Amino acid sequence: MVLGNYKEAVSARATDKKIMEVAQDGGIVSALLIHAIESGVIEGAVVAQDPADDWAPVPTVATTADEILAAAGTKYSMSPTVFGIKEAVRQFGLEKIGVVATPCQTQGIRKVQAYPFSTRFIGDKIKLVLGIYCMENFPMASLDTFSEAMMDTDLKDVDKMDIGKGKFMIQTGGEEKGIGLKKTHGYEQAGCNICTDYVCEFSDLSTGSVGSPDGWSTVLTRTGAGVDLFKSAVDAGLIETKPMDEVKPGLPLLKKLAKGKKEKNAAEREKRVKMGIPIPTLY
Amino acid sequence: MNENVKVISPTSRQEGHAELYMKVDDEGIVTKGMYFSITPVRGIEKMVLDKRPETGPVLCQRICGVCPIPHTLASVEAMDAALGTEVPKAGKLLRQITLSAHNINSHAIHHFLIAPDVVPDDLFATAVKSVGEVRKATQFVVDTIAGEGIHPSDIRLGGMARNISPLAKDKLIEKMTALKGTLENHVELIKDLVHKADFPEDLGKVDVPLFVSDPTYGNTDAFPLDKLTEVLPEAWYGDEAVGKRACTVIPLLDGKNVETGPRARMEKFEGFKGKGITAQHIARAEEMLVSYNDVLTKLDELDTSASARAEFDPRGTGELGIGVIEAPRGTNVHMAKVVDGKTKFYSAIVPTTWNIPTMGPATEGFSHELAPHVIRAYDPCLSCATHVMVADEEEKVIKNEYMKI
Repeated sequence: MVLGNYKEAVSARATDKKIMEVAQDGGIVSALLIHAIESGVIEGAVVAQDPADDWAPVPTVATTADEILAAAGTKYSMSPTVFGIKEAVRQFGLEKIGVVATPCQTQGIRKVQAYPFSTRFIGDKIKLVLGIYCMENFPMASLDTFSEAMMDTDLKDVDKMDIGKGKFMIQTGGEEKGIGLKKTHGYEQAGCNICTDYVCEFSDLSTGSVGSPDGWSTVLTRTGAGVDLFKSAVDAGLIETKPMDEVKPGLPLLKKLAKGKKEKNAAEREKRVKMGIPIPTLY
Repeated sequence: MNENVKVISPTSRQEGHAELYMKVDDEGIVTKGMYFSITPVRGIEKMVLDKRPETGPVLCQRICGVCPIPHTLASVEAMDAALGTEVPKAGKLLRQITLSAHNINSHAIHHFLIAPDVVPDDLFATAVKSVGEVRKATQFVVDTIAGEGIHPSDIRLGGMARNISPLAKDKLIEKMTALKGTLENHVELIKDLVHKADFPEDLGKVDVPLFVSDPTYGNTDAFPLDKLTEVLPEAWYGDEAVGKRACTVIPLLDGKNVETGPRARMEKFEGFKGKGITAQHIARAEEMLVSYNDVLTKLDELDTSASARAEFDPRGTGELGIGVIEAPRGTNVHMAKVVDGKTKFYSAIVPTTWNIPTMGPATEGFSHELAPHVIRAYDPCLSCATHVMVADEEEKVIKNEYMKI
């Protein structure tokens, strides 16, 4: 069960060229959110935007396809997205919202739904949680260090960031630069080292590049809401799919990384417990 | 206990501890009624001292869980005045809508509290359902604009945390418009039931000056600070035993106790006629429609693209800032002074404090058995106390203060 409960695993990508131009990998999150808004499943979504174009993510409420596309692509720093959910429900007046969340944020969202402290009437408005695979996340100062100190590039000039094939990579003016992931160790936020969820196990649907070829994403549908939305998007021709066993490297790699995170971070948790440091409960 | 003295405590189904101490004649008719709070010192005004002005509204809204909206608003109004901030129009409108929606909600809660007095068994479910429907729509307005229906997080110094979206505005108008029929029926139902309860005509009638500032929101200019005096309860009640137990000072205007609340507002601004407890209930019900129209008028006026919050200078003017808010139970006054960025003075005179010296005499001239109805008609809310249930070792309830009447 290293991938948590899921109904189906497929490799997929968006068919819309406009989405694929701005997407991180297969454009699944953007395509699903736009489809969810246009089909009335949600009225809007809380997404991580980069309003100052400096890679500092800010939770933003998007209610149109254009606003979703403006927030497309992964930002490798923390977005206080859960905080944005309340604003979406209150002053934006959304009664059906979607949210794009990392595994830790998804755990927070599920807690909000179970125990609504300071979030009265919020949990029931969250209709869709799209999870993204996440090994670790970096404070802005770490991104600064990678880009400016290690790769001699102003953060503002970076067009795309990506982690894959053992590297942290940036694209700037058509040029690609990278550093080995080993060099990034120690720069992640400390909490990431005790998190054992790689594939966003509590989301409605989770997705990420690992397991699929370039330009495609691996999708795990997990709940009724996730299955229905994904099926409806595929039926509408917005997303094309391939069975996981027909693509390389396929599910074995995803399982390997998920298992790796669980084992490595379980060890770190034990170590911290022995040192008397409190750690959050696992669910 | 002296045979000629009746003491009722608690007196309302609302929170807070109070005593109604009545001297009665041989027929049980009240000859002297004294109502006083025995809720211990609130202390919140002291907690905010020497803290930043932003702390004021955050702590002061905790004065009460029934009236958190008026306390937050009175506190931000007092602080805005103390800092010399001009709140932008959108911020003012959002505050006004929040209060009017809250007042409808709070009046509906009061109808729930008086239901055992006026609603017959066969209509009980109907009345309670009606209260629920009114509250649901109005609390949605407060939630959306102010962040939380109880203890609002988004009423801030300088205005509101943020304006609402055009979609939210449309939804609020839609939901409130849909509420119209329900609310009108609710008001008619309550008025009808109150009339049928057939309280003696002059029960609860008092003849004291009215103190209210505005039909819906609150107007600082209408608060005559120069006429305010406060006397200690020992001096006011003329009864040492009562004076020692009473916990609030008695605020007077021009040396006289006053009446505040929905009936006073309706008489002063809407031409309402009638005094006594039936009139109190009728006025409260009718005021729901005044607040309702206010919500829709101001929502219509709201420009959702405008800024709802002004920048402010937290250092303070050193002058006394006064915030006056027309709360469900009357006029709520907060006063603050900020010097060098720290709150140096804070005082709140809450609605029920004004009514406390008026409610006791209102019981006079009728059987002491009717007295709790009089007190409930004024809807006192004495905040900050907990109702106590005492259980013995076998967990059998041996004393339940809340259920006594």
